[in-house]
Amino acid sequence: MRRPPFLVVALSLGATLFASLPIGYLAIRFIEGLDKALDEVFRLRTLELLGNTGLLVLSVSISAFVIGFSQAWLTTRSNIRFASVFAVLAALPLAIPSYVMALGYISVFPTFSGFFASWLVLTLATSPYVFLAVTASLVRVDTAGEEVARSLGFGRLSVLRKITWPQVAPAATASVLLVALYTLSEFGAIAILRYDTFTRAIFNAYRGSFDRTAAAALAIVLLLITLLVIWLERRYRGANISSSRALGKRVRIDLGNWSWLALPILALVAALGVGLPIVSLIIWSILGGSSINWDQLLEALWGSFSLAGLAGVIIGIFATAIAFWAFRYRTKLGAFIETLSWATHALPAIVVGLALVFFGANITPWIYQTTWLLLIGYLILFLPNALAAISSPVARVPRSLEDLSQSLGTPANRTLFKIVLPIAMPGIIAGMALVSLTVLKELPATLLLRPTEVDTLATRLWTATETLSYSQAAPYAMLLIMLAGLPALALNAQARRAISEVREK
Amino acid sequence: MTLLKLSGLSKSFGDNQVLKSIDLELKSQELLAVLGASGAGKSTLLRLIAGFERPTSGSMTLNGAEISNSNKVLAPDKRNIGIVPQDAALFPHLSVSQNIGFGLSKWSTGDKAARLKHLLELVELTDFADARPESLSGGQAQRVALARALAPRPALVLMDEPFSALDAELRARLRLDIRKILLAEGATAVLVTHDQEEALSLADRVAVLRDGEIGQIGTPTDIYNSPIDIGIATFLGDSVLVEGQVVKGKISTALGLLNPMGKVLDGDQGLTAIRYENFYLLPNPGGEGEVVGQVFFGHDAVLEVKIGDLVIRARSNGPFAPEVGMRVKVWVRGSVNFYAN
Repeated sequence: MRRPPFLVVALSLGATLFASLPIGYLAIRFIEGLDKALDEVFRLRTLELLGNTGLLVLSVSISAFVIGFSQAWLTTRSNIRFASVFAVLAALPLAIPSYVMALGYISVFPTFSGFFASWLVLTLATSPYVFLAVTASLVRVDTAGEEVARSLGFGRLSVLRKITWPQVAPAATASVLLVALYTLSEFGAIAILRYDTFTRAIFNAYRGSFDRTAAAALAIVLLLITLLVIWLERRYRGANISSSRALGKRVRIDLGNWSWLALPILALVAALGVGLPIVSLIIWSILGGSSINWDQLLEALWGSFSLAGLAGVIIGIFATAIAFWAFRYRTKLGAFIETLSWATHALPAIVVGLALVFFGANITPWIYQTTWLLLIGYLILFLPNALAAISSPVARVPRSLEDLSQSLGTPANRTLFKIVLPIAMPGIIAGMALVSLTVLKELPATLLLRPTEVDTLATRLWTATETLSYSQAAPYAMLLIMLAGLPALALNAQARRAISEVREK
Repeated sequence: MTLLKLSGLSKSFGDNQVLKSIDLELKSQELLAVLGASGAGKSTLLRLIAGFERPTSGSMTLNGAEISNSNKVLAPDKRNIGIVPQDAALFPHLSVSQNIGFGLSKWSTGDKAARLKHLLELVELTDFADARPESLSGGQAQRVALARALAPRPALVLMDEPFSALDAELRARLRLDIRKILLAEGATAVLVTHDQEEALSLADRVAVLRDGEIGQIGTPTDIYNSPIDIGIATFLGDSVLVEGQVVKGKISTALGLLNPMGKVLDGDQGLTAIRYENFYLLPNPGGEGEVVGQVFFGHDAVLEVKIGDLVIRARSNGPFAPEVGMRVKVWVRGSVNFYAN
């Protein structure tokens, strides 16, 4: 039995420890002060927040599903014109952080706020997740089966309902639950559009008073709701029913006159989700270009890049260690650590940030208000993303190469670094880059945890938005789209696959 | 009684004319095989009949009612024509019996149960009623696909290369099964295939499709014994082509005087097509031929025999085939097809 090197084990356990301690601490504090916390929870205010959040999550999930599914079906299965252009446009909102999209809207319509505004912006920002998941699953449905159903006497709509939908349903459901998770944890866009949900209330409670019990209590409620949705999402993820033959024959359905309805709708969604926010940000950037504070901008750029680069490398190293342990040694403990590392996937950043504030202030004051605490926050939030990207390149290195290296006299653990690491390196670096780009866009945890002297593109944008100086905020928004959003979209494997599959006829 | 009638049916995709004025009649309870090389237009023909494509010109009637012309196409779900796709294409989210019963949604519960039971027995998959499609073998999946198509008692069943994904042994067995199932159901069927053996052994009639046109149509024996031209002759079976001239009603060739099938005109020059199995070889030290090569298949063997400048190929009984180097006497049995230039 081969044993993993000490370094691999230490890094893996360290990552798990960093990730689980603060959340655990938040829970313990909650239980210790249960009476007081429960008083905070059982107030009319909580009920109101619950209603607001629930309404938003439900309505965004439904509308993102309708839009994402229609985009996927039309671009992959119908003969609509410009299908590949519309596929790119459907994925493009992924490049715009949701708070940037919110800024794009509110800077054009200053009174655009509240439920409707949040619903529209979050629908546009999250429908790409449904579009990508449904596209990937639709292209795997063999159209021969649909033709058989037609020949057995079923019309187009009933075939869609009885044959196509059941095969796409698991992927679509998982993606809708993902949309629900994003909406639950969304902070920036909702705060900019001034709609009261848990995240905004937590942030305000944290900032507005010295007693942080209220913030912690609300954070725990949000955490529990999130865990419920995560549990639901886990049940659907990976459950993919599709014909064994991948990419069956595809016949595109003739829309006929319906295309005169479908084309304008697709165009409208693209205009709202991509066109309007970008155009508005470009105009504001030009307006604000003359009065821009270059020192601040360069400082924020440096802050963003140093933090994102550091976080990407550190998180990437931890994730590589875990992937090595789980996939190259196949021990039970390694696999368990890998599963555990997923536990923080999709936790609201505001909750993670708050937990670290508590933990840092009370247990580890020597790192409180330093960059290190912020980096731990990023580790908790993005370790799952890094693992998702790094696992497959590490797991894919053929075992036979390792065997061969050992037969040539290299010990197992040296082989790991001489053979597996170099072969998996391009994938690992891509994973690190993806994490860096995600960190670049992060807002709520950065706001809560950054040392006071550190500013990033996202926090500058936030400060300018709070004082309604849209022309000050717009250049930061454009930089975030160009430096973080677009490169992240280009690195997104699912998006690339979906668009190329739409392209091939 | 004519069930299906295609009149002047054509189909083009852009500039590419895939089917050129197809005329075809299909009788009730008949099994027709459409035989053609890949790209001959077989699948397009099936998709036109099923209603998934609109003909460029021509028309189609089913039971006397027009179902397709270049203006109007009756939707596939209104045609009562079942299809069995190449790779079975079972609904992956439904069990075997749910797959078979899919087209019976309008039947009463009792009728549906009885029909399901009957079909499961017919395709010998009663024990697999609740199995998921992915657990079936290729042959089982294909039988489920056939039962699913037959379930609502369609006027016609279309089968698109139903055996192509299977290995040779399974293919031969499934062929017999499917023939039996179709007979038991009294179904009318069109099968498209590129496999000559399959078409000849399974069908009541065979239509040879070539470059979008029907080259010849007839019973398997007719079409095998009397191909109308050299192309079809060589497509349907292994043949040796020998030049010849008609002399007094016989064909004079390097292999001697041969008996022609059908009428020939004295003085015509042309090619004679002789099937491998029409040769008869007898080992004889004074024979005119010399065996120069042998491919052994077990039940039979193909021998290469050199006769003067000519090399012919002949099928011989495997275990008793003459060996390489032996001299043989060569006879041509029966009549041969002659195609004048």
